[in-house]
Amino acid sequence: MQAVTGPRGLIVEPITPYTKVGAIDGPGLKRLLGRVSSHAQGIFLASPRAGEGRNLDTAQRVELLELAVQILAQNPIPIMIWVTRDTEEESRRTTIALKKAAERRRYPGDLFWVDTPLLYHSNRGLPGLYRALGSVAGRPYILHNDPTLITGLSRPLKRNNIRTAVLKELAGLDEITGLIFYGSLERAHNYHRACRRRPKFRIYDGEESSFLDHPSTSGVVSVGSVLAPGPWAKIIESSLGLSANKKEYPDHLQQIWEAGTYLRSMRDIYSGAGVPVLKEILREMGLIESSYHTLGPVDTGKALERLKELMMRFGDYGRV
Amino acid sequence: MTIIEQAKNVLTIEAQSILGLTERVGPEFAEAVETILGAKGRVILTGMGKSGLVARKISATLNSTGTSSLFLHPAEAIHGDLGMVTSDDVVVAISNSGHTSEINRILPMLKDIGAKVILFTGGLDSPMAEASHIVIDVGVEREACPLGLAPTASTTAALAMGDALAVVLLNHRRFNKEDFKRFHPGGSLGERLSLRVKEVMLTDEHVPTVRSGSRVDRAIEEINAKGIGATLITGSDGTLEGIISDGDLRRALSSKDNIHHLKVDEIMTRSPKTIDENDTSAEALGLMELNAITHLVVVDETRRVKGIVHLHDLLGREGFIPNAGSNRATRAHS
Repeated sequence: MQAVTGPRGLIVEPITPYTKVGAIDGPGLKRLLGRVSSHAQGIFLASPRAGEGRNLDTAQRVELLELAVQILAQNPIPIMIWVTRDTEEESRRTTIALKKAAERRRYPGDLFWVDTPLLYHSNRGLPGLYRALGSVAGRPYILHNDPTLITGLSRPLKRNNIRTAVLKELAGLDEITGLIFYGSLERAHNYHRACRRRPKFRIYDGEESSFLDHPSTSGVVSVGSVLAPGPWAKIIESSLGLSANKKEYPDHLQQIWEAGTYLRSMRDIYSGAGVPVLKEILREMGLIESSYHTLGPVDTGKALERLKELMMRFGDYGRV
Repeated sequence: MTIIEQAKNVLTIEAQSILGLTERVGPEFAEAVETILGAKGRVILTGMGKSGLVARKISATLNSTGTSSLFLHPAEAIHGDLGMVTSDDVVVAISNSGHTSEINRILPMLKDIGAKVILFTGGLDSPMAEASHIVIDVGVEREACPLGLAPTASTTAALAMGDALAVVLLNHRRFNKEDFKRFHPGGSLGERLSLRVKEVMLTDEHVPTVRSGSRVDRAIEEINAKGIGATLITGSDGTLEGIISDGDLRRALSSKDNIHHLKVDEIMTRSPKTIDENDTSAEALGLMELNAITHLVVVDETRRVKGIVHLHDLLGREGFIPNAGSNRATRAHS
């Protein structure tokens, strides 16, 4: 497989919208992607966190991908979709199903399979796994290293992070084009060091707060950008210098500072209540049909009100 | 996170940004060095904002290590400063993103002039990278400043790469200690100017002296022999009566037909400027500047000559080594 470079910038991690009865909400997804796509450099569907990917079966993921491909076909941006299932074989089957869907739809943009290998495989033998997958996947992989996901397994592994030495080997494979990273700054440094021989290997910040504190030059995977795509895009544009757009002097830095403060405050609110509060507010805004989710009961009351108030102040809240 | 932890994080990110370069520096860097070594002109640094400040520093480093360099402000360039660039020059542009519009605008003009363009950037796919002859990757993995409000790790990386360029050029030009001294006369000037006059003055047989009543021929011989462009005229008891400098000789030659038979007393400057041996070199320098002269005579309270100090002794001559008294002066003029 020829090496493909992953996008740099804002990778929006949308929630997966459901109808009231638990089916994929196509019109809702269209409105969501319509809200964010012009601000984003990529979309990460069915993510294990905001996308409730762990509760999405292969058919649902295929449906999500097909919908997204249709919605974004006119102005294609890179699409990433989570392919990981409970076992290696299931993950492989899901990948193949998604590959077939992509071939049917002939999406003109780039497609990437996001995989959390430690959910079904130990560190040992990972390079061999991806070499073998490369021949069936047809698209490049982006690794997903999220120790909190692994820690939650009923059958815990010895390690909940991809070993640095293993990553070094993985970064040398054309089949793998980047990594979404959650964890400490120290580990981030080690990972960067492991991947230096491949300058265009992307290491995205999975934690929004990490990016806001010390922005990675590859970009960030952001769930909050569904609520505030404009401010996120502004921060990304400024941090990564993505275009030659003139900065809005003389108060450019003040604007960035205020946008950053807003996004931090927003994150502080939704990080506690998670996906349910995001869905609730998106439903209230008329973007999705229902706030149905697969995560069990969560009290969103206070968080919802605080988030709404904050978004109103910054002009991001309004019914469509 | 504590203040110390935050500081450590920033320093670690910056350190990593430089370490990251070590694995990416490649043949294009060698090509840049060879291009500069092969150029007849100067190295012209350019950059906007913080990158401009980094460019200025790299330019200064190049100058002080033997590579002639200038800074070109990209905004001023299109208002006339581009005239400083010739086809013999090499331009080093710095832009972390590779999207700096002010530099983008001048790149075609630089190429029209015929100057080679080397770009330091993290934007390897940027329009500037495409428009440059040589692209050196100074990209970093992350910035240390929250929200990327100010470039931090990226400017550190560019600066370090500039230092690498300067040092490699220095090595290839066989730049040596003497060259460095020549380009850094100010480095030890402060130390010299804090010395006492007695520590830098010429003494004893190194002081050019002729007796009052001698012929001018004798003064010329003494000036030639002692090599500081002047001779003192003293009485039989060693007291100072005057000075004849090269200037005095030129003035005498222009106003008189034959000066060789004249007595020194006829052309000497009476009451030359003097200084006490315990005054500082800085005071001596101030007196010289005030009176637009290059020599001061060191006398005691009875005007007996104790030595002479020349401007060069204050500013430093090749091989000048601070010591004490006439030994150092002897080395300076040997």
